[in-house]
Amino acid sequence: MGKELEYQVVVVGGGPGGLAAAMTCARAGLSTLLLERGRFAGAKNLFGGVVYTESILSLVPDLFSEKRLPFERPVTEEGWWLLSEKGVVKLTHTEAERMEGPPRAYTAFRARFDPWLAQKAKEAGVLLVPKTKVIDLLKEEGQVKGVVVDRPRDWEDQEPAVVRAPVVILSEGVNRLLAQKAGLIDRDFKPQEVALSVKEVVQLPKGEVEKRLGLKENQGLAVELLGEATLGLPGSGFLYTNTTTVSLGVGLFLSDFAQKGIKPYELLENLKRHPVLARILEGGETLEYGAHLIPEWGLEGLPKLSAPGVMVVGDAAGLVNPLFREGTNLAIYSGIMAGKAAVAAHEKGHFGSSSLALYEETLKSSYIYRDLQYFRKLKRYLQENRAWFDTYPQLFNQVLGLYLSAQGRAKEEVFREISKLIRQRRGMVNLLKDALKAFKLFKGW
Amino acid sequence: MKPLPKVNIDDKVFTLKYYVDEEFVHLKIKDPRVCKECLEKPCLSFCPVGVYRLDRQGNITVGYQACVECGSCRVACPFLNIEWHYPRGGYGVAYKFG
Ligand SMILES: Cc1cc2nc3c(=O)[nH]c(=O)nc-3n(C[C@H](O)[C@H](O)[C@H](O)COP(=O)(O)OP(=O)(O)OC[C@H]3O[C@@H](n4cnc5c(N)ncnc54)[C@H](O)[C@@H]3O)c2cc1C
Ligand code: SF4
Ligand code: SF4
Repeated sequence: MGKELEYQVVVVGGGPGGLAAAMTCARAGLSTLLLERGRFAGAKNLFGGVVYTESILSLVPDLFSEKRLPFERPVTEEGWWLLSEKGVVKLTHTEAERMEGPPRAYTAFRARFDPWLAQKAKEAGVLLVPKTKVIDLLKEEGQVKGVVVDRPRDWEDQEPAVVRAPVVILSEGVNRLLAQKAGLIDRDFKPQEVALSVKEVVQLPKGEVEKRLGLKENQGLAVELLGEATLGLPGSGFLYTNTTTVSLGVGLFLSDFAQKGIKPYELLENLKRHPVLARILEGGETLEYGAHLIPEWGLEGLPKLSAPGVMVVGDAAGLVNPLFREGTNLAIYSGIMAGKAAVAAHEKGHFGSSSLALYEETLKSSYIYRDLQYFRKLKRYLQENRAWFDTYPQLFNQVLGLYLSAQGRAKEEVFREISKLIRQRRGMVNLLKDALKAFKLFKGW
Repeated sequence: MKPLPKVNIDDKVFTLKYYVDEEFVHLKIKDPRVCKECLEKPCLSFCPVGVYRLDRQGNITVGYQACVECGSCRVACPFLNIEWHYPRGGYGVAYKFG
């Protein structure tokens, strides 16, 4: 890197948020530098994961003319599996239409998807420099004016290099250290504000993904695993099908791992040994293990989205909706919004708080923000009604188990047994209350 | 809580690809005396790759080479006793799938 580099926009982080922001700026003709600390965009990133077609189309409109799509399988069946210790109640949805036409969602790997999107960004004119960590922000007169990186200025001068830019877009992911340095938020997140997830990619014998999960070649399953997957603690597991592998993972609030002394990999092992999953994974080989945090601080921990010279997007701001498995799409949408605000600021030649506040305004009038507001209520509800994580998955298993094995018995006796179970586990009144509360919550959507 | 099956975490770490930075140790215990006072030692359990371990003398050791840079220990050490950085650009874990 030369002495004093200068760009019109510097973006930190080559995940979907940063790539979306950088592409938006470069396409509008701004000189755009994207810095990524990994060896390539995607090297540091891990997710479930499912990506959403609509969000990708908003960046790459001719997606379907690609020779090779950067995905694994279209998602044609999704829902929840409620696990008891040995059994499962499957609640999944699929319909004929989802088998035709362009799929709404695909399973993917980040170490393949992100590099693909990064290639599109380069084609749009973004200068992408990997293997470069941003270690600080350049601030002058209370305004962010660029970044400091962990590379020397040149051979003679070993001081860290500085890159100047009137607009810096932070898309550094959940560990939002630079957003804190920028003063967008004055504290670190707490262990109860993030979920820690671990995941394995398991290679199955040829043809077995289809056979074991009842799929055809161009179909895919994406299910969340509740109940025994998390030992009844708030959180969830997931099972997603890839071309010849499955992605299996589980996550809890980091505070629960820490306070209860649970080892994440042992929780995952417990899930792998569940009889239903063990049968799916039989003979499989783990190709990769990994871990990542999910920001769940929601509105309470939402940083200021912009300050003079700087904006924050995606996970770094906490724009995820864990219950609906949204993250990459929100990163992309917020990245585009920040990119547009950067373009508008350059048109005006003014980078103070009022110009970049356009980003904040657009985001706050979008569904992303409404969902954050809604998610706050939902999260509180689930914290107060933990039965959804432990009692109900078990109860559903027991009740259905009894009901479906009722042949050859007096049905009155079976129903009496079922209502006794419900009384013991939760009580009819509580059950109705829970259902009513849940209904009210969804009505308020 | 029911006992969970034991796992040799090294077998899982074995599936990962790393570019280890020998010149920059990106995780450090700030003050080993604090660890002695820390009764629960949660870092021994929550770290998803078992970076923190106890040696025979009861000291915490930091196998930073296996770190997947999730950030958990930065905030979940109850005494905030870990000096935490990302590895230098280009070093550390590199997912093949992610
Ligand atoms: C287990 C799990 C399952 C998930 N499942 C789904 C799913 O199914 N569907 C979905 O849509 N979302 C899912 N998500 C969420 C999704 O992964 C994130 O919301 C999304 O990746 C956020 O994108 P981002 O660009 O904001 O951040 P990231 O993708 O985290 O990208 C941040 C980038 O910044 C780089 N970086 C960080 N600091 C620096 C620095 N100082 N200098 C230079 N570079 C830096 C990092 O290396 C990284 O490349 C899941 C997440 C997890 C953990
Ligand atoms: S949790 Fe923190 S203080 Fe306790 S032993 Fe681990 S590093 Fe030391
Ligand atoms: S950052 Fe994550 S993987 Fe690395 S040592 Fe801390 S807890 Fe372990």
